[in-house]
Amino acid sequence: MNRNTVLIELKKVLAPYTENKELLNGITEETDLMKDLKINSANLVDIIIDAESAYNIEIDFDSAEKMYLVGNCIDVILDKMNQSA
Amino acid sequence: MISTGNDIVALGSINKQRTCEPRFYSKILSVVEQQLYHQPELAALPFENYIWLLWSVKESAFKYLKRNNHQLVFSPVKINVLTVHAHPDQHYSGSLRFEQDNLFFRSIITNDWISTVVNEDDNFEYIFNDVQQIEHNDYQHQSAAVRKFALDKLNTFFEGEFKLEKSELSLPVLMRDGELVNTPVSLSHDGYFVACSFNFNPTVQ
Repeated sequence: MNRNTVLIELKKVLAPYTENKELLNGITEETDLMKDLKINSANLVDIIIDAESAYNIEIDFDSAEKMYLVGNCIDVILDKMNQSA
Repeated sequence: MISTGNDIVALGSINKQRTCEPRFYSKILSVVEQQLYHQPELAALPFENYIWLLWSVKESAFKYLKRNNHQLVFSPVKINVLTVHAHPDQHYSGSLRFEQDNLFFRSIITNDWISTVVNEDDNFEYIFNDVQQIEHNDYQHQSAAVRKFALDKLNTFFEGEFKLEKSELSLPVLMRDGELVNTPVSLSHDGYFVACSFNFNPTVQ
């Protein structure tokens, strides 16, 4: 799976927690989940759990705290997918 | 280090079933914090409310500490809640630690929300924290409403034209008559509720 494929799937994970769908469609690797997409911090755990289910991976605490930019999320997801491959 | 940090959780927004799944709450609570729930004085507190109570404590602490530790990243399990005490009328208090910093919290739980404020001292005499219900739950309305709420509250205490601006770290800073005021402010919103806290400690006036 390449970065763009992960990004497409990640949009689906973020969709239930993103009010502005237009912003979501235009996300890049530099997009900040909270500052740009206005995702409530209380939903960050939901997003991590949904990502774990979507990619069949487990995201530990140290990795979870890096997931504030879309690009960081992709890094963590690809890293975990490679570990479990 | 004088700062302030608050948080509000709208209980109407939470997913009770998911909250109580171990894979969810284990990303917020340490094993010690999970055991802390079983103390007799918390027997009347539903587990989902306990989880979100500790979330609000940790989020408040993060906001408090971020003001002086710009590189800090929110990682709930690394902020350790040490004690939780129940008081009449669904009031809670306790202590927490993050690395070398020890903080204290005060929380209130109603049917609709959990509100928390933290302080470096167990004396909250100079700490103001309040909650308001709002009409709409979209981000823009929440953001405007919490600022108006905070400024209205300030104007009940002080004269002058107050404004809230954002620091480079996106933290709210208070301006009065065009000049920076050294009163730490914290804003939070969730669902149909907003909350603000101020630290009116006279040593920072």
